[in-house]
Amino acid sequence: MNALWAVLWKDLLSEWRSRDRLVAMVVFALLVVIVLYLAAPPGTGPDAHRHVPGLLWVAWCFAGILGLNRAFAVELENEALAGLALAPVERGFLFLGKAIASFVLLLAVQAASALAFALAFDLDLWPVAGRLAGVAALGAGGLCTIGTLFSAIAVRTQYREVMLPLLLLPLLVPVLLGAVRATSGLLLEGSLPWPALQLLLVTDGVFAIVSFLTFEVVLDE
Amino acid sequence: MSTLLRASGLSKRFGPRTALAPLDLEVGAGEALAVLGPNGAGKSTLLRLLAGLARPTAGSLTIGDGAPSRTAQRRAVGLVGHATFLYPTLTARENLLLAARLHGLSSPAERADRLLAEDRLEALAERRVGALSRGQAQRVAIARALIHDPALLLLDEPWTGLDPRAAERLSERLAALHRAGRTLVVVSHDLARLAGLAARALVLVRGRAAWLEGEELASETQLVAAYATRVGVLEARA
Repeated sequence: MNALWAVLWKDLLSEWRSRDRLVAMVVFALLVVIVLYLAAPPGTGPDAHRHVPGLLWVAWCFAGILGLNRAFAVELENEALAGLALAPVERGFLFLGKAIASFVLLLAVQAASALAFALAFDLDLWPVAGRLAGVAALGAGGLCTIGTLFSAIAVRTQYREVMLPLLLLPLLVPVLLGAVRATSGLLLEGSLPWPALQLLLVTDGVFAIVSFLTFEVVLDE
Repeated sequence: MSTLLRASGLSKRFGPRTALAPLDLEVGAGEALAVLGPNGAGKSTLLRLLAGLARPTAGSLTIGDGAPSRTAQRRAVGLVGHATFLYPTLTARENLLLAARLHGLSSPAERADRLLAEDRLEALAERRVGALSRGQAQRVAIARALIHDPALLLLDEPWTGLDPRAAERLSERLAALHRAGRTLVVVSHDLARLAGLAARALVLVRGRAAWLEGEELASETQLVAAYATRVGVLEARA
């Protein structure tokens, strides 16, 4: 567990000093909101907000991938990743430290872009804010666990910026499916559909366990 | 002298390419061993295997009390690479703190401060590594490698990229560590510096090994001549 906290502390402190990932993710998410607003302006009537949950997750998903692409890029400078790999600890805890740091950053981006969405699409998110935060966290959890594992794989490839979304997006289908359905239920009907939450919980659990156990293979060679 | 490191039939292949042919190696506690060879000879591969950063294709490796796990192996070694393994946005002290925490030390802050004092790095402690010179960063990198007081210190091309003054200071530091009883394995092309440090040298050519000992390492001139001969023999065999 010491290793988990050490990596989390290092990643968040580095990010606080440089702010390169967070700023890029927030600006990107806000730009996506603007593009989506121009491409699909909010209508009127009962179907006015039908597409908003999907659009919200488009912004969060791509902003998350942008951040994950940088998660291991910072480990390449001075070959710091080798220094991390020298630690005599269970590799899974190094993975968890990296994944939780990405998760914290994505939560901040989700909060900022949700506000922008509310303004652009004339949504009143306040009554469902707590439950929406829960769904956002579950979706971000799935994205950041499997995303951290694949970010560690992609960072050693020649075309890492392209490779991560290519590897990751197909695997994110269950996460996005569950997250969009849960968000739709919440924003359009005011209730959380249990099957969508179940899908999110199971996917998050499977991704976390698989990534924890396989990170050693990815990190070593 | 007791044996600290024992490798038997240690080898590494990357697909069809042999990076390191089966190697038997023993390094005594307190010994300084030089590893020499042309580029692509397998020196860095050997160091990565000793550090527990790569899995051998075949063979066995024990360090210290013979604990078989790679976690125990990583606990027993410190590695100084050509790259520093340091985070440029963190200060020198924060980098040492991180290493101490990753090694599970009970008082990481105390240990980091003690090493900064021992290595006369206090003036650099609160400076970000990204703002340090190559020589200064290398001194911090050595402190990082020593943070958990490893039995064996591995160094990969430690003099590369240093100016003459920084290189001289590094040589003095390594000599001091050796005098203090630390076991060193140093990979380098800098024969002049190795001649004064190591009593034995392993020459690798295309993954195959030969040894230099005794008088052959007494001076730079003797080392250069002996090294050229061994490389010629190994290349003829390969």
